[in-house]
Amino acid sequence: MSKILGIDLGTTNSCMAIMEGGQPKVIPNAEGGNTTPSIVVVDQNIVGIPAKRQQIVNPKNTVFSIKRLMGMKYNAPEIQHLKKDYPYSIVEGQNGLVCVEVEGKVYTPQEISAKILAKMKTDAEKFLGQTITDAVITVPAYFDDSQRNATKEAGQIAGFNVKRIINEPTAASLAYGLDKKKNEKIAVYDLGGGTYDVSILEIGDGVFEVKATNGDTHLGGDDFDRKVINWLLAEFKKDSGIDLSPDRQAMQRLKDAAEKAKIELSSTMETEINIPFITADSTGPKHLNIKLTRAQLEQMIDDLLQKTIKPMENALKDSGFSKSDINEVVMVGGMTRMPKVNEIVKNFFGKEPHKGINPDEVVGVGAAIQGGVLAGDVKDVLLLDVTPLTLGIETLGGVSTPLIKRNTTIPTSANQVFSTAADNQTSVEINVLQGEREMAADNKSLGRFMLDGIPPAPRGVPQVEVKFDLDANGILNVTAKDKATNKEQKITIQGGTGLSKDAVEKMVREAESHSSEDKKRREDAEARNLADSLCYTAEKSLRDAGDKVPSDLKKEIEDKVKSIRDVLQTASSEDLKQKTQDLSLSLQKIGQYMYGSNNQDKDDGKDKDKDKNPNEPVEGEVVE
Amino acid sequence: MSTHKKENLKEKVLELEASWKRALADYQNLQKRVIEERIQIGAHANEMLLRKMLPVLDNLEKIEEHLNDSGLKITIKEFKQILKESGLLEVETDQKDFNPHEMEATDAIEGEKNKVLKTLQKGYFLNGKLIRPARVLVGRGIGE
Repeated sequence: MSKILGIDLGTTNSCMAIMEGGQPKVIPNAEGGNTTPSIVVVDQNIVGIPAKRQQIVNPKNTVFSIKRLMGMKYNAPEIQHLKKDYPYSIVEGQNGLVCVEVEGKVYTPQEISAKILAKMKTDAEKFLGQTITDAVITVPAYFDDSQRNATKEAGQIAGFNVKRIINEPTAASLAYGLDKKKNEKIAVYDLGGGTYDVSILEIGDGVFEVKATNGDTHLGGDDFDRKVINWLLAEFKKDSGIDLSPDRQAMQRLKDAAEKAKIELSSTMETEINIPFITADSTGPKHLNIKLTRAQLEQMIDDLLQKTIKPMENALKDSGFSKSDINEVVMVGGMTRMPKVNEIVKNFFGKEPHKGINPDEVVGVGAAIQGGVLAGDVKDVLLLDVTPLTLGIETLGGVSTPLIKRNTTIPTSANQVFSTAADNQTSVEINVLQGEREMAADNKSLGRFMLDGIPPAPRGVPQVEVKFDLDANGILNVTAKDKATNKEQKITIQGGTGLSKDAVEKMVREAESHSSEDKKRREDAEARNLADSLCYTAEKSLRDAGDKVPSDLKKEIEDKVKSIRDVLQTASSEDLKQKTQDLSLSLQKIGQYMYGSNNQDKDDGKDKDKDKNPNEPVEGEVVE
Repeated sequence: MSTHKKENLKEKVLELEASWKRALADYQNLQKRVIEERIQIGAHANEMLLRKMLPVLDNLEKIEEHLNDSGLKITIKEFKQILKESGLLEVETDQKDFNPHEMEATDAIEGEKNKVLKTLQKGYFLNGKLIRPARVLVGRGIGE
């Protein structure tokens, strides 16, 4: 079965999401935004952000808030009200239903909505690289049958097979996984760009029932922005005596700044609004520079916030429940990011609302989940486990080297090549470790085994491949293989991840509390390993170089090696690092001598050639 | 084994195979997208920072217009050169028809219909992607 697109067809903005690998994913539109303005230039088929940008030039042909017209009768009082406010032409169509007239052509609200849906379909298909035909579309809980049918028709006109129309508060609850709860009562508070809804739902056996819904169809984020703009206008007038309201450009800049300030004040207590060169008079350019605190903002918009309380009371009353009956509170819409909104809702229901999912996207996400349930994606979703603790092996100096990090989704496998620590070492011991600590001794040893029969070789030369394979049941297979002989040994550890939640948490906590001392110990061990390995290299280089190294340098290096070896187990890592660096510098001198003598060899060769055939010119040399 | 049981098992196998294939397909598609997104992240790594800096550039240009200082002029030129080298390109508006895919109309005023009459704020592309539309005044026709 193909994928089902979840669509939140909103009054001001729309959003779409899909299930992918058992998780909902919001799909960005072609312009890169996660939400698309529900605005259409009807005669030019421009939808979304570009349509919004030309609204002012082309107001008669630019249709917005079409959702308010869906499935409505022309003579309904609210339509007559909109007819006065909206710049585009609202007319009566067939069967007394409301329609829109653009350039002499009559369009049903379904046809307009279909243009929004068609854009989303195209963008989703482009993003996913596959055809999408099935969709779940959301509608407000208060939509009646004709409004729901109109929405379904819009989907069909756009080329969708509309699998289901679901309520927006239901979708939001689904996004938070509340369908898994039994017999709970949920309040959904949805304060969007232009509308405010509150719904009370009851869930039993995975089915949501809307018990009551209330709201204000003309209250949203734009009203809040307007409050800030008006305040800025007044403040500027007080300061400079200039009224900015007739200046379209200044108003646009004020609107941008007001929105930015509102958003900023959700995370900070104070913000500065700076608009240089906002206007000019005979005395020169004027700048706007005003501080706005969160408290000031909250005071400014208090009347709007208070307006959201009455609908909550009404919805609760209609549902027949009391405040204490409500088990869950879900927040929807960008305005719910404002801490004050959260506080008001929390105080009203006496419960911390659900947060975490982007409130602009939560309805679209829920629609995608509903789509996933219908497609069979979600019902049988394979819940993959993760490994709760890091798995690794012990390496030189008692260090714990991780192969599979904690929180890796299983089944998984990992491999890494290790080597020997001493010359002619013919066996290695694999100590399988579990835990977050840096040193092997602090972690839990799950098992150990030997791999022998490694052919004698200098240290660092043999290649032992260690493979961890963790299956879906948490059974760990560890294999060690000598790549030279293909000889291998393995161990199977049952239930390595079968620790209790408490045990895991304890181990993670311990690792956190010891993290700095563990890190130090690991650094010490690594410094020792490095020092030891450099001593080895130094001795080997001296042996290999033979007489090419002058005896004083040889002595210098031997002394330095000895001074490291003497204190290898006792010195601090800083000390060892210093000594290692010293030795490393001396070692570089060996290289200089080696290359120096090699060059001499070459010169000798040339001379010999010359002797052989003195008349033949050597390239690059001047022959006299 | 009864035929019924066999049938059940067969069905189960088909079902499992289907979900396995779907998971695999989801994963492969994700991989492809991750690669694509990584390329895009590389190309648009500066986008966030530039978006925040553009208003400052606007203001510098306004100051320059006001002060007409040659030192400032050179500095702005140098600054814009760096931005250009980083892939930033101005949206052309001069004498152009209004295009809502690159421009945002702040107002419609008397003048040639659908022509850009004045640019209030420059728009920019970053490596071909519009990161800010140009804000313009557009003609609504003469005598309308």
